[in-house]
This record gives sequence, structure tokens and C-alpha cells, in this order.
Amino acid sequence: MAAINWGYGISKPRAIDIDRNNLRRSDEILHEMPELQSCIGCGSCTAVCTAGNLTEFNFRKVHTLVRRGEYEGAYELMNRCMLCGKCRLVCPRGINTRGVVMLIKRKLGDF
Amino acid sequence: MSFFAPFCLPFMAGAVVMFALLLVKWSTWFCGMPRADKMAVLRGLPTRKTLAAVWEVVSESLLHRRIFRINPVLGYMHASLAFGWFLLIAVGWVETVACLGLRYVPLQGHVFYKYFAATESLPHLAVFDQAMDFLLLVVLSGVALAWGKRFCSRMMGMRRTTKHVPGDRVALSALWFVFPTRLVAESITAALYGGGGFLTGGLGGVMEEYLSPLLLARLFEPVWWVYSLSLGVFFAALPFSRYMHIFTEVPLIFLRRYGVRAGDKESSGDRFRTDACSRCGICIDPCQLQSVLGIDDVQSVYFLRDRRYKMLEMKVANNCLMCGRCEAKCPVGIDLNTLRRNSRDTMRNIPDERRYDYFAGVDRSSGEGRVGYFAGCMTMLTPRTLTAMERIFAAAGEQVWWADRSGGVCCGRPLKLSGETDSARRMMDYNAGLFRKHGIATIVTSCPICLRTFREEYDLPGIEVIHHSEYIMRLIRSGRIKVGRGEEKFTYHDPCELGRGAGIYDEPREVIESLGVLVEPHSTRENSLCCGSSLANTVISDAQQLRIAEGLAAELDATGASTVVTACPLCKKAVSCAASAPVKDLSEVVAERL
Repeated sequence: MAAINWGYGISKPRAIDIDRNNLRRSDEILHEMPELQSCIGCGSCTAVCTAGNLTEFNFRKVHTLVRRGEYEGAYELMNRCMLCGKCRLVCPRGINTRGVVMLIKRKLGDF
Repeated sequence: MSFFAPFCLPFMAGAVVMFALLLVKWSTWFCGMPRADKMAVLRGLPTRKTLAAVWEVVSESLLHRRIFRINPVLGYMHASLAFGWFLLIAVGWVETVACLGLRYVPLQGHVFYKYFAATESLPHLAVFDQAMDFLLLVVLSGVALAWGKRFCSRMMGMRRTTKHVPGDRVALSALWFVFPTRLVAESITAALYGGGGFLTGGLGGVMEEYLSPLLLARLFEPVWWVYSLSLGVFFAALPFSRYMHIFTEVPLIFLRRYGVRAGDKESSGDRFRTDACSRCGICIDPCQLQSVLGIDDVQSVYFLRDRRYKMLEMKVANNCLMCGRCEAKCPVGIDLNTLRRNSRDTMRNIPDERRYDYFAGVDRSSGEGRVGYFAGCMTMLTPRTLTAMERIFAAAGEQVWWADRSGGVCCGRPLKLSGETDSARRMMDYNAGLFRKHGIATIVTSCPICLRTFREEYDLPGIEVIHHSEYIMRLIRSGRIKVGRGEEKFTYHDPCELGRGAGIYDEPREVIESLGVLVEPHSTRENSLCCGSSLANTVISDAQQLRIAEGLAAELDATGASTVVTACPLCKKAVSCAASAPVKDLSEVVAERL
């Protein structure tokens, strides 16, 4: 079996200045999908991800960045998702992850 | 004889408006259809399909046989109104011909023949008086039942009826007025001029007895006005209301017989489908979103209504399990799920053309063999199914090519169900290319979602697509695997995609019966419930999905079976959250008894 990318690794150091980011879209997303705030960042979604198995796509990372106002490239990354729905079945918080993918794409389509 | 009186005007105006609008609407819809569909209609015209369509129009648009099968009282209500009214028109036509010979009589002359026969002393035949009265009585009984349905729908086996829009209420009220006013108008005419059958003549006799001739004479013209007005209002409102179905179901039946169905993309031909919905509401009761969660604005009847009046919202279009329970019951036979999918396609994001470029060169398959096994995303989450299949393949001595045991690309159905039809096509092309490259003759999958897509969407010449239930059944039949039969009691849950979707009901049952005793749950086969985890719904929450699963699990547990068997990894996941008995995939119970 090929090595599974669990979505963990050493992240490059980066700083997000929430005061400078425009959080309007992020607020809209959280308003429509408030359950996303209950995410504990366990990464189960990323561990089982069909697209994540083939590429660097990391659902946990993308939605976390989007919530902090880092929208750059989120649409393109979310587009790698195949909507197969495994993430939704494993989410310990019962978050409607497929709904989140579609919502982020809808909100950030022009970014 | 001019066959004209001023009171005819509302009726004539209504009829002209209705026929003009029907003609305009139908021709625009037909002209806007894709060329291939129009050609299919032209090619089908001179074939036997036309005769079959004519018969279906009689049996469905007039007699409503499918509704009779759902509930006899409901069927009688629809048939008495439709077939009764049709016969009133047809027999009325024969009556004028029989009385006046073959000569031109304008439309209002046929409709208001009783008025003209009385005022202009035209002949009338007793046999037609009686026949027309009988038909009027039949229609009136239908109207009475329709009234009764407002107050007690359970009488007709319906827990919920449709919530109507104002336009429908106008047309509905006019329709309810048409026949009682006709009865009164013809009775007063009979009271003043004689004639009439057992109903109008009888009622006319009573009126003659108790009412003064002066009052009757004063009421005579006004009641004919009211009758004509109700007809006129109904006809004018018809093209804008749900009663558009009366006429639109006819071209829909012909289109369906000629093989023209709803497709992946919205087309103007879909208007024949949305407008053929009579909003009878039969789709409401089977919907588990309604019965379990109390969501009552997303069912097919409301979806079609919203789409027709161009007020469809994304959350309505997306809030559907696409389990197919309503489609199986729809008396008009509308492609409900396909229409919902192509609405989602219209509302989708603008896809990124390069989004799946990363598929290029990916091939994680392993093994060599003429038989391929495609686990699918969901089976990868239920590894017991995967290991059970490995054991079954080994026991049968099958050389297997494993398509996606180390990761692969989704079959494309989840994306397609979300409306991203074009992007899903890229996945389908990828997987089909992979299957062809490895030269397999059979592809076995343990996921009904994948199975349906492979069968319906993939172009796989020379490759047989089978579900693992079919594969295991063949192994047992041919004796390639031997299973031990015990006395254990199993119950089986029909997955939506496998049962209603792919028509596979008997194969898993045959396999289970070779292992032990099979007991059926209350809702089974075509009626089976959805587990709630359907990939088609992106709106309901986890807790709501669980409540649907609990409803299903309660039925399965009630059978007293020691093991719940299903044949879909997604159903297995959903039901095992709620059932008290252990839930196993078909392959697991077989592998345990090898």
C-alpha cells in the first residue's frame, strides 16, 4: 500500500493577522453553517479523504484558513474534492462537511 | 338558430384564452426541445408506440388506474371528475348530433344545449336526458369527495394533502362551482320548460312544486350566467394553475412513449413534466423528510411547483434524499429525481475546467484477473466488507484485479447528484479508461451507488457490471463456494440505489435464504425506507439523518431478527448507528459461513 498522507506534517511558519483580513465571507459562511464552529480540528476528514489520498488537498486546512479570512486559492483547492462524503461519515462532531465544501465554493467562487 | 345568448360570453372568452395559451405554451416548449428529442418524436409517430400512448392516455389521464392502485376512493374521486366530465362532453356531443343531425353547432351550442333546446324548442331525447343526468351525478359525487378530502384526507389514505397557491385556489373554487351550478341551471330549466332526466327533472319537479313560477323565471337567466362564469373562470385560470396537468399529461405520455425523458441538463421539454404535475400530493406521504422530520416544503410537489413558477430556492432543490420513494408512487410518472438533478445542475458553481487534472497518470490498482473489484469510497470506510470480499474471492479461486484498494477515484455519482454533471463526467471517463486499460470482463462492486453509475453513465462495451450480491449468488448457484445453512434469523434492508435504483431485490434475498431464515421488515422492496445518509442530501444535519435511520432501524428491529443484513456500505454505516441488532453487509454474513 502506498504511504497514506494523514494530513499531518510540519507546517511552514506563517502568521495570520485577523485584524487585516476581511472576515465578511467567513462570517457569512459561519452564519449559514454554524456547526462548523464545533470543529475540533481532529483531521479525520482529511485522513479518509479520497482526493487527499491522491493530492495534497487537505480539507481541514482549507476550511480552517477560510474561517480566518485566508481565501486565496481556497476555491481551487476545494474543487479537488470529489464530494464522495467519507469525511461526513467520520466527523466526530457530525458536521455536514459536504455542505461546507459546496458553501465555501459558492461563497468564494470569484476569489 | 344562432346558438348564442349573452350569458355564453364568459364561457367563450375563457375557452378562447385557454386554447390559445395551451397552443402557445406547447409549441414553444416543443420547439425549444433538443433536436434529437424532436427527431425521436417524429420517428416514433408512425409506430405502435403511438397506439400504446393513446391507450395510456385513456387509462391514466381519464381512468387514473395508477391512483386506484394507491387508494380506491382517491382513484374514484379523480376518475369520476376526469372520465365523468369527459363523458359529459362526449355524450353531450352525441346528443346534439342525435337531436339535430349532422350540422355545424358552435361550441357553446353543445355545452349549453339544454338551454337552447328549452328556449328555442329544439328536440331532446329522453335516453340522453337520463344518460347525461347519470353522468352529472357521477361527477357531482367526485366533487363531493373532493370536498370531503379537504376535511378528512385520511379517508383516501392520505395523511397530508398539498398546500395550494392562491391561483390554484381560484381555479379550484371555480371547478367546485361548475357542476352544482350546472345542476341548478338545468333543474330550473326543467322546472320551467319540462324535460330533464331523473336528477335534473326530479329536482326541477320539486322546484316547480315549492317555488313560484315568477321566482323561477327570474332565476333562470342568472343561474345560466353563474354556470357560464364558473366555466369561464376555470378555463382562463387553467393554464396558470395546477389544472394545466389535465391537458399536459397527454403530450407527456406521448413523449415518454417515444423515449424522450428528462436529461442531465434542463430543457424546455421539462416544462411538459413540471406542468403535468397535478399537485395531487401523493408524493408527500412517502417522503421521510416529511414523516420523520416534519419538513414540509421540499417534496416533489413543491419542488415542481416552485420550479414551474420560477421561485425555486437552492435549499429546496438540495433538500432531498433522492431515495425514489415518491417517484415510485407518482401517478403521472414524472422523472422527479432527474428533474431535481438538472435543477441542481443549473444552480451549480461554475466549474473549474482543470479541477481534476490531477487524475492524469494515477493508477493504484493491483492484481491481475478478468474479474475486477471496485470497492468504492464507502466500502473503503467499511473495511469488513472489503476483507469479506477478499475471503469470498479467495474461496472461489477467482483471480481479481483490485481497482481501488490502495485509493482511487470516486465513481462520480455523488458529484452528479450535487448537480456538477460536467465535472462528474471527468471522473467517469477516468474510471472507464482504467477498466478498459486492464482488460477486465466483469467489474464487481459492493457499493450500489457505484453500481448504478457504472450501469447508467459509463460506456463499458464488453464489460459486465454486477453488484456483489449478484456475484455471490452466482458463486453459490454454480457451487464455486459452499456456505453452511443455519437456523439464524436475518432481516434484509433494501438500499434505495440497489432496489428502486437498479431493480435488484431477489439476488440478495436468495443469498440470505441459503444461509438462514429471512424475515421481511414492514416496508420492503419497492416500499423500503431510506437510511437517511443519502449522498443526495446536502442540507439536513447529522442529527436529522440519525432520526431517519432510527425510524428505519425500529422497523428492522421489530422483525426480531438476530442480524440485520444490507448490501450498501452507506446504509450499513447509517443503520448500525441506530439498530440494536448487529448490522452486517451481505458479504460479511457469507464470508462468516464459508
